[in-house]
Amino acid sequence: MERHFIKELDDLKMTILNMAALTRRALEKATHSYLNRDDKLAQAVIKGDKEINDLELQVDSISLKLLALEQPMAGDLRFIIGTTKISKELERIADQAVNIAERSLFLCQHPPLNHIPAMERLMEIADNMLDEAISSFVNENFKQAIKIRQMDDMADQATLEVLQTLIEYMVKSTPATEKRILNTRRSIQTIIISRCLERVGDLATNIGEHVAFIVEGVNIKHQKIDFDFS
Amino acid sequence: MENSQKFITQHLNFYYGEFKALEDISITINQNQVSALIGPSGCGKSTFLRCLNRMNDLIPGIRVEGMIRLDGEDIYAPKVDVVNLRRRVGMVFQKPNPFPKTIFENVAYGLRVNGIKDKKALKQRVEKSLKQAALWDEVKDRINESALGLSGGQQQRLCIARALAVEPDVVLMDEPASALDPIATQKIEDLIHELKENFTIIIVTHNMQQAARVSDITAFFYMGKLIETGETETLFTRPSLQQTEDYITGRFG
Repeated sequence: MERHFIKELDDLKMTILNMAALTRRALEKATHSYLNRDDKLAQAVIKGDKEINDLELQVDSISLKLLALEQPMAGDLRFIIGTTKISKELERIADQAVNIAERSLFLCQHPPLNHIPAMERLMEIADNMLDEAISSFVNENFKQAIKIRQMDDMADQATLEVLQTLIEYMVKSTPATEKRILNTRRSIQTIIISRCLERVGDLATNIGEHVAFIVEGVNIKHQKIDFDFS
Repeated sequence: MENSQKFITQHLNFYYGEFKALEDISITINQNQVSALIGPSGCGKSTFLRCLNRMNDLIPGIRVEGMIRLDGEDIYAPKVDVVNLRRRVGMVFQKPNPFPKTIFENVAYGLRVNGIKDKKALKQRVEKSLKQAALWDEVKDRINESALGLSGGQQQRLCIARALAVEPDVVLMDEPASALDPIATQKIEDLIHELKENFTIIIVTHNMQQAARVSDITAFFYMGKLIETGETETLFTRPSLQQTEDYITGRFG
């Protein structure tokens, strides 16, 4: 006979996986709405955020109940604590997706800026980081979890490149004329998008840290430890 | 630190007749700490506890191998005075078992056995013990009434006071709160926290949350073996062994 508690833990896991899937899709849609200048996709991201917020509340409520009623220990306790934290990170990533979508809506209304290669790279890195974070949770893979933060430097670098490109562009657009003011406005909105993606990388790194805690019970936050897996 | 070690057992085996109830137990119990022994029924935790003041000697057909040292001295050596050992290593049992005497006489009993006759000294020691057991305020006005009129929780604290009266070094507690309601249980648990300042406490409990709440060190026994021992916080958040994890998370068997 399966224990009631084990079933409830499975429910918690399913809820967070559902939330992870929706969050990743929201981020994908948001970046596609920017790349393809698709305002419908951007609207869908903004509309879909409520579902993710509701799932976060659901995770909190299941976790609180399990902590109060089951007094979980060891791996179960770490799983519940870690899951609650991961749901918070996912909810924030989804908020970043909404923020990107809102910038896209503005940019869709105006002619496109020149292609920025670093932006596409940044989108790919952020998406990879989130993907790796989720899959480290699914596989309970410590090694995979702590490797995510190594990708964070690449995300920071790409963000900086986007910023530099657009600052140069804005400098060239001075002194301001009416047309050139729009250049600045589009550039700033685009910089905000890159900043959102950079935050996604940070939050995905946090998820990896929570997974490391769930799997091995170690806290690797705010520590520069290089794990040697050789 | 050498002087903080109270009990050391080395390769302890214990037999009831042919049945080997404890196998190769090596553990160190530190002074002024609470050590909790956990494990499923029949795992040997109570048997181990009763080895520490030779309570098992009263059972026919038992046999002990290996070493148990209290403050460095072998407690199974032939010259050991078992009565004195049990004065140094007191015990509290699952069911409160006050004598059918007054509250005062219950606590004074061990003192009288130890030859203390001076009334003033007796009174002082009884009061001190009842205070240590957090019972004094509740019974000071009826100290000469029967102990059997006390509630279960009060009776158990009286038994603790009785154990403390003879000034032991170590107090062994075998499921001391399992017959008590939650409020009385909480009082016993709070008391255990207080007592470790002056005593070394070893507690057997089926209640894992209780072990987690009261102890500094937890030892997990299974089928007569000591599986894992360590700091309570570590053992209940990230135990080293899968077998321990399975037991404390209820995934056993």
